[in-house]
Amino acid sequence: MLRTREKIFCYVVAFAFILFLLAPIVWLLSTSFKGQLDIFADPPRLIATVTLDNYREVLGDRDFMHSFLNSILVSSGTVILSMILALPAAYGLSRLRSKTKVGLLSWVLLVRAAPGMIYVIPYFMAFNELGLMDTKAGLILINTVFTAPLAIWILISFFDGVPGEIEEAAFVDGATRWQTFTRVALPMAAPGIASAAILVFIFSWNEFLFALTMTRFESKTAAVAILNYMGYEGTEWGKIAAAGILILLPVAIFAIGIRKYFVQTSAGGVKG
Amino acid sequence: MPGKTNRGLWPLIMPTFLALVAITVLPILVTLGISLFYVDLTMPGMTRFAGLENYFELFQDSRFLNSLTVTAKLIFIPVALQIVIGLLLAMVLKEKLPGTGWMRMAFLLPAVIPPAVSGLVWKLFIVPGAGGLSYLGHVIGVDLSLDLLSMPGSALTLVIVTSVWVGTPFVALLMLSALESLGEEQYEAARIDGASWFQAHWHISLPEIRPVILTVAVFRILEALAIFPIIFVLTGGGPAGATEPINYYAYVNGFEYLRVDYAATIIFFFFVVMMGICSPFLINIARRESSEEAR
Repeated sequence: MLRTREKIFCYVVAFAFILFLLAPIVWLLSTSFKGQLDIFADPPRLIATVTLDNYREVLGDRDFMHSFLNSILVSSGTVILSMILALPAAYGLSRLRSKTKVGLLSWVLLVRAAPGMIYVIPYFMAFNELGLMDTKAGLILINTVFTAPLAIWILISFFDGVPGEIEEAAFVDGATRWQTFTRVALPMAAPGIASAAILVFIFSWNEFLFALTMTRFESKTAAVAILNYMGYEGTEWGKIAAAGILILLPVAIFAIGIRKYFVQTSAGGVKG
Repeated sequence: MPGKTNRGLWPLIMPTFLALVAITVLPILVTLGISLFYVDLTMPGMTRFAGLENYFELFQDSRFLNSLTVTAKLIFIPVALQIVIGLLLAMVLKEKLPGTGWMRMAFLLPAVIPPAVSGLVWKLFIVPGAGGLSYLGHVIGVDLSLDLLSMPGSALTLVIVTSVWVGTPFVALLMLSALESLGEEQYEAARIDGASWFQAHWHISLPEIRPVILTVAVFRILEALAIFPIIFVLTGGGPAGATEPINYYAYVNGFEYLRVDYAATIIFFFFVVMMGICSPFLINIARRESSEEAR
């Protein structure tokens, strides 16, 4: 189909970009397996003596592992709270036939599009008053500011995909709206719900600004705690690389797991 | 029949929306409120009403004006590059050439790597002597061990490159799914009439996916300043404010200078401007979504 020249052009574009995309990640990976001396070897080498010391040290670092556990707990909590808020609302909006629908949907998008910084100051002051500063509960709450609208938006299209005839049949059999929601729509939208939940998990796992400002030590997440390796005495690149790999591994696996939905859902409103 | 009416829907929708108003609209109004006062965290009780004075201060603050320029650069340059390169890559990947299939999977990576880690990935890559860039320079025999973060121009370029790195693959995947949803007939016809691969895409495919391109652009613009963690890790806004966009300046005011009133002013101003520009598009997107009848 393609002429030879066009084919060559396509290959050049594709491989040039993939080099740009992968080179920094490959370097992170290679650094994570290097000893301190090899990291600053002159000339630099891609593969030196392979050592697991960096991983051993990071995994043995109680502060970092504490933050890693925090990431898991905060992300899971954010998923649960977001889903409790988003599932009924998304189902309701999907079925709603009313002029208010556009207003509500616009509002969901606007909330999601607001810059994160606008929430930081009021939440910071409120958390200080309420004793929520540096707590996982507080971080879960402020993460939900972004993840609940995101989940609503994604879930609406999955509920749109549940055939109406089946719901009608449930109504004829005397089911209430709530029963139809829980027994018909929820099970049928299950794959979409799972991918929305994973997306919320990824978002919360990666979140930085709120974790930076609303936590000090007790509830610090891994995405912020990794900066502890950039000390005043110099940056411990080996540990940063190993910790970076450990942080990105779970979300990379999740993303590949839901790759079928990932592009479609995380675009949040972009329809292909 | 309940399925044809809205009966029973509002009890499902309202609790969530009330909760969302409490956790989103309320804090935004509080931010607006704070921006109208003089607040000194070190001297409680000295808070007094300031009216719009904090807003007047903005336009005499050269560091704020500089952050506006940086904001414009960090929004429009990366988004333009992401769209252009993303489109080109989507056109390439659509050909399903042998040996390129795995790239679709690799393209997911930058979009899911935590932004703070992306910042570190690039910071490590350019460490003079120890970074991958020095290594590549060594391989091709050019000395690339420069301290890129010490000069305003190269630091800004690096932030833009990282932003392109993070966003482009994802834009490419979105464009790819848009391209793949198009019919092939017109494209094939153009090819048979002698149009080149590029011409056929330029005249046939691109006009068809224009709404998608526009939507992607709006979302990328809105999310462009989400590179806060990258800037935090890479440059800290420096050197000399060269990479300090408006949300970063708000952060510095709130958390380094403890001027929460001024920080609130800066970020509320930005919020209003962004919403003013983008909300017509967002409402349009919401309208399209809601007109898509479930069945």
